[in-house]
Amino acid sequence: MEEAQGGNRVLKGKFGFSFDATRCSGCMACVVACMDQNDLPEHGPSFRRVTCFERGEYPEVRLHFLSMACQHCLDAPCVMVCPTTALSKSAGNGIVQFDRDLCVGCHSCALACDFGVPQFQDDGKMNKCDFCQSRVEHGLEPACVRVCTTRALGFGTLEELDRRKAERASLKFLTPFSKGG
Amino acid sequence: MTSANLVILGNGGAAIHAMIAARSFGYSGPIHLVSDANGPAFNPMLSPYYLKGKIPWHRCFPFGEDIYRKCDAICHWNSRVESLDAANKTVSLAGGGTLHYDRCLVATGARPVVPPIAGLKDVPGVFTLRTAAQTRILEKAIGSAKKVVVLGASLIGVKVAEILRQRNVGVVLIDVAEQILPHSAHPRAAAVLEEYFREKGIDVRLGCSIEGFETDRDGVRCFFPNNMVERTDWIAVCTGIRPNLDFIDPVQVSLDKAILVNNRMETSAEDLYAAGDVSQGANFLTGKSEWLGLWANGCYQGRTAGMNMAGGKASYPGTISQHVSPLFEQTFIQIGDLNRRGPNIRLISGRDPERGILHFLIFEDDVLIGVNLFNNDSLAGRLRSAVMKRMEWGRYMPDVEQTPFHQVEKALNALDHVGKMV
Repeated sequence: MEEAQGGNRVLKGKFGFSFDATRCSGCMACVVACMDQNDLPEHGPSFRRVTCFERGEYPEVRLHFLSMACQHCLDAPCVMVCPTTALSKSAGNGIVQFDRDLCVGCHSCALACDFGVPQFQDDGKMNKCDFCQSRVEHGLEPACVRVCTTRALGFGTLEELDRRKAERASLKFLTPFSKGG
Repeated sequence: MTSANLVILGNGGAAIHAMIAARSFGYSGPIHLVSDANGPAFNPMLSPYYLKGKIPWHRCFPFGEDIYRKCDAICHWNSRVESLDAANKTVSLAGGGTLHYDRCLVATGARPVVPPIAGLKDVPGVFTLRTAAQTRILEKAIGSAKKVVVLGASLIGVKVAEILRQRNVGVVLIDVAEQILPHSAHPRAAAVLEEYFREKGIDVRLGCSIEGFETDRDGVRCFFPNNMVERTDWIAVCTGIRPNLDFIDPVQVSLDKAILVNNRMETSAEDLYAAGDVSQGANFLTGKSEWLGLWANGCYQGRTAGMNMAGGKASYPGTISQHVSPLFEQTFIQIGDLNRRGPNIRLISGRDPERGILHFLIFEDDVLIGVNLFNNDSLAGRLRSAVMKRMEWGRYMPDVEQTPFHQVEKALNALDHVGKMV
């Protein structure tokens, strides 16, 4: 996942968030942690958002929550449409990086993003999730993942996330048998 | 593939992305880049931001000078293409040079159109906004102006009007159409923008034509019907663009409004590709050929062409008409077709005063085909995606014309890819 270099860790591999909708209670701790970590204003845009979805019809209605931040797409359309090259894709770790100094606030990225991720702050410039790169480089989890009490959110390389998902699925499948035995 | 000779005509987003893509694909042979400028690629999208004082001049050249060295390109600066012989695969440059190509990309972009109004071409104070040189000239002209007539309430016309107003220049914005942004806004959305522009002090005159001009030492006099005369320092012409394809032989290469290309960016001539504003590719929705002058579209087309010229198999399915523009304190978004009319076409609109959101959604039956949206970033991309997927709204289709935005959000949450993630 990473190599040590001068105290920091150089991130290697393609990273991503995982999200388990069956675990999310919509507590919004991830949103608050993200705002705190990134010094975001109370009523301003947030890099991470939790959306509530209603499913079913009365009286069989259920609520589901989706906690979502930047997907750091493999072929990120926001990078392609950015007229200033403020957005770029890191070849090493796949993070869609953002240089605020270069942003002119044209909103092209907002129109290009299928997930509604780009948010604009009071100065008219875009801002977004960078996987808490500074935390991760020091061996910490992104702030939103760190505070997720139900462990609905996860973080790692895509290979790690795949492996964890397979483990959870195996556990779910095998537990009834082990209890029975 | 190392032996072929790649020639790229042009030096904009499409040309640069083609060059990068060819190298990324592993092509190591010579790449010739022909440009009528003498330096790095200029992005015309950024000139309004420069003129508003938001960015310094060097930032209008987002790829910088280094990109040509990184891509090991052989640059032919200050070279204008005189003719292209697709049969013999040669490009003749003004001044006598000739380049032979194995594969060639035409990415020469577009230039502003000056409409055939009597006397307009003879007026010395007529300015357009597209190239780096035109931006510099316009900047100089703004410096001393007190009043300017902007011809054309197009996307660039409203931008120029905004720039001038922000620099305390009096503006008369004129269009022959009955509404502002006739190709990008629903009449009701256009009316909102028109009122907003008037509030900002812009004199908007729609359905208005100019009969003639007269120049004197104080500026230009514009003559309108009914003997009306307007004195102006100069005139900004923002009436559209035209592809730069004068050097193309229509017998050799199929043309419509621009050079016709397939989804691999191939033209009708062998080993000749076209991308960006000089090309006419597919509309994603209709599959039909449509000329869409969009920066991002040009970049994608250039990347596709570059990979294919390098021996790859890339395709680009096309895009739809879309635009986003911050205008004063508002953000105006246009997606898809706003001008379709018929018995099965419905307009759904609403206002969210708390968030400042205003939406105009055009449905064909229960399929969203066009969007005008003010001041919402979160749903712009998702609505664009809904239009491109021709998503059927079914029972989530709003019942009444006046539907609050939160209900549109709720419907989208139930329908689109984001909603389906849980």
